Amino acid sequence: MELAVVNNIIKSRYHNKKLSLVSERPNLSEAVINVPYIIKEVNTTDQNMKDFLFTLGCYEGETVTVISVLADNYVISVKDARYSIDKDLARTILV
Amino acid sequence: MKIALTGNPNSGKTTLFNAITGKIEYVGNWPGVTIAKKEGDVKKALNKGESRIRVVDLPGTYSLSPFTGEESITSEFVKNENPDVIINIVDATNLSRSLFFTTQLLELGIPVIVALNKCDLLHKKGIVIKRAELAEKLGCLVIETASTQGHGLPELIEQARIVYGHQQTAPFPGLNANVKDHAADDRIKHERFAFVEQLVKVVEMRNVASNKQTGQDAADRIIAHRVLGIPIFAAVIYVVFSISQTHVGPLFADYLVGWIDSFYEYVEGLMGADVSPVLSSLLLDGIIGGVGAVMGFLPLIMVLFFLLALLEDSGYMARVAVVMDRYLKRVGLSGKSIIPMVIGTGCAIPGVMATRTIRDDRQRRTTAMLTPFMPCGAKLPVIALFAGVFFSDAAWVGTAMYFVAILIIITGALIVKRITNEGSAKSYFIMELPDYRLPSLKRAFISMISRAKAFIIRAATIILLCNAVVHLMQTFTWSFQVVEPGMENTSILAGIASPFAFLLIPLGFGAWQLAAAAIAGFIAKENVVGVLAVVYSITNFIDTEEFVLLSGAGDVAAVMGLTSVAALAYLMFNLFTPPCFAAIGAMNAEMDSRNWLWAGIGFQFGVGYTVAYFVYQVGTLMTTGNFGAGVIPGLLGVMFIAGVIVFLIRRNDHKSKIELKEAV
Repeated sequence: MELAVVNNIIKSRYHNKKLSLVSERPNLSEAVINVPYIIKEVNTTDQNMKDFLFTLGCYEGETVTVISVLADNYVISVKDARYSIDKDLARTILV
Repeated sequence: MKIALTGNPNSGKTTLFNAITGKIEYVGNWPGVTIAKKEGDVKKALNKGESRIRVVDLPGTYSLSPFTGEESITSEFVKNENPDVIINIVDATNLSRSLFFTTQLLELGIPVIVALNKCDLLHKKGIVIKRAELAEKLGCLVIETASTQGHGLPELIEQARIVYGHQQTAPFPGLNANVKDHAADDRIKHERFAFVEQLVKVVEMRNVASNKQTGQDAADRIIAHRVLGIPIFAAVIYVVFSISQTHVGPLFADYLVGWIDSFYEYVEGLMGADVSPVLSSLLLDGIIGGVGAVMGFLPLIMVLFFLLALLEDSGYMARVAVVMDRYLKRVGLSGKSIIPMVIGTGCAIPGVMATRTIRDDRQRRTTAMLTPFMPCGAKLPVIALFAGVFFSDAAWVGTAMYFVAILIIITGALIVKRITNEGSAKSYFIMELPDYRLPSLKRAFISMISRAKAFIIRAATIILLCNAVVHLMQTFTWSFQVVEPGMENTSILAGIASPFAFLLIPLGFGAWQLAAAAIAGFIAKENVVGVLAVVYSITNFIDTEEFVLLSGAGDVAAVMGLTSVAALAYLMFNLFTPPCFAAIGAMNAEMDSRNWLWAGIGFQFGVGYTVAYFVYQVGTLMTTGNFGAGVIPGLLGVMFIAGVIVFLIRRNDHKSKIELKEAV
């Protein structure tokens, strides 16, 4: 009985997660390869990561280009360098 | 006078440091190789002045506000330790990012010289930089360098001496001092980048925009391909092993072993018959035999180190991190975890230390616990010995050991994730992809010599000592009488090792000699080879045909009394149990938690035992049709290990369900 309750909670949480994916704002994970985009916002609660991306030149108003999609990573060009970022990070970069 | 070397990751600081100090610090073509500061004096040939010049190589950073642990080393050093001159190494192919940090450095009130590094690549990339104008705009000296070739270094040092004591005015009045107000800080950061952008527009001309596809990008799509990535990695490691262990390595090893044998005979002749047999046996079989057996593998290891250095220099390793990221992420690690593991192929100690770059505690500790599974340089003689003696030098043995290590790491991470249940913490992966380049033979050679030197020093000190002690323990009984011929089981060594050997029967190698070698391996893994040489009186593990001729007692495999399957189990047991004590010490330092340390060591023992058990029992079943000795007691042991893990996972599941319920 108890177990069933808990399992239902887990299920509903999973479901919510799925829902939030649908209402996602345009971000780098859906970007077209070779097209330069202007970054609108870096949308993460991880302030450290945000600051770090800033020092690389990855912040609102800057240009970013997806060069290729490798394995589950995105190769992006920011300033004059290439970085490999994962999908989670690509999702935080709104364009 | 003290010079600090600062700059972005992978801008070539350590290469420049090595070139001006003559030191041989570890370099690699990926960001984040240096994790602690390194010091040295400028070479006499470059220092025209009277007084010595101290140089401090610092970990790379993108700004003065620290993001990772190693970045804070850099900002704390330049802010608090008052270097006299800062040399800012700037990657000339990436001014628009690098100068952000430069403008911050220029505000510290310390003379700054910009070393415009990688200038040799500008032409190839179609970039022109107006150096004089850049210097004028920045208000400091700018010197073109190519640290891989040594260009511009004499001038750099000369100018550092001249600029000593003369500070510049900052071009961007950014007020670097700690701004408390977050909004103001943010505004300054944006203005700083805008300033850099304006500057770069004036001083740099590019023929090809950097966001256009290049041949390198095409290469990446194949090398780090989602399907092809792993087979390519496997093929690369296989080629490395087949060259070092089957083709080129043994060629040199035969000569070296020949020399060691003649040295043995020479010393034997020198001592004559007058020296006491105990003493002469200690010197010949214990010291020369044991150390000689380890040293015999030096050529194989040197070739391997040479090839690994070429790989590290090529830029390939960063791609391996990208390929591995997706697997590591699923088990709760980050792609960054691969860097300690790559470094761990040289030695587990710097590998474990490199986990410092991982910010998340759980990920860092898990990585520190799993990194020592990677076969390190000291384990290579062990691999080479067993591949040579039991599998006729097959390169697949070494390659397989790397992939088994990776599998164990992935499984291990999964188990840790289930036990600690913090895998849900979000971690992002970002890694700069350095350009591919033709690896330098010279640098690979230097790196090989430096690692070979370390190997020889270990063989001549700790390995020598261990072999001497083991030989004495084997020579004497508990009542300090010399062991009678045929009564080898009465020796101190046999007495100590036998109880352990009993536990190893289900793994296929229950002889006290093998147990003793495995135990000595915890002091240093090369000891496995040295002690096997001592306890079985075999000096030459490489030219095994000659051994058969000399001893007439059958081949090495027969002397050790192991089947191929048991040998493989023994090899894997030695590779995948806890590492040497020094590496355990490094684990302790980086984990910073007793619980994690003991759990880690326990886990490593569990893995070693379980893997060896299944390799031996399943292998024996497949080759002979029957299980090996001790299948049931061994199974109980393995089930006990599995039971502990399952218990910990269940306990955690239960705990998290309670937490979930409370949350509702």
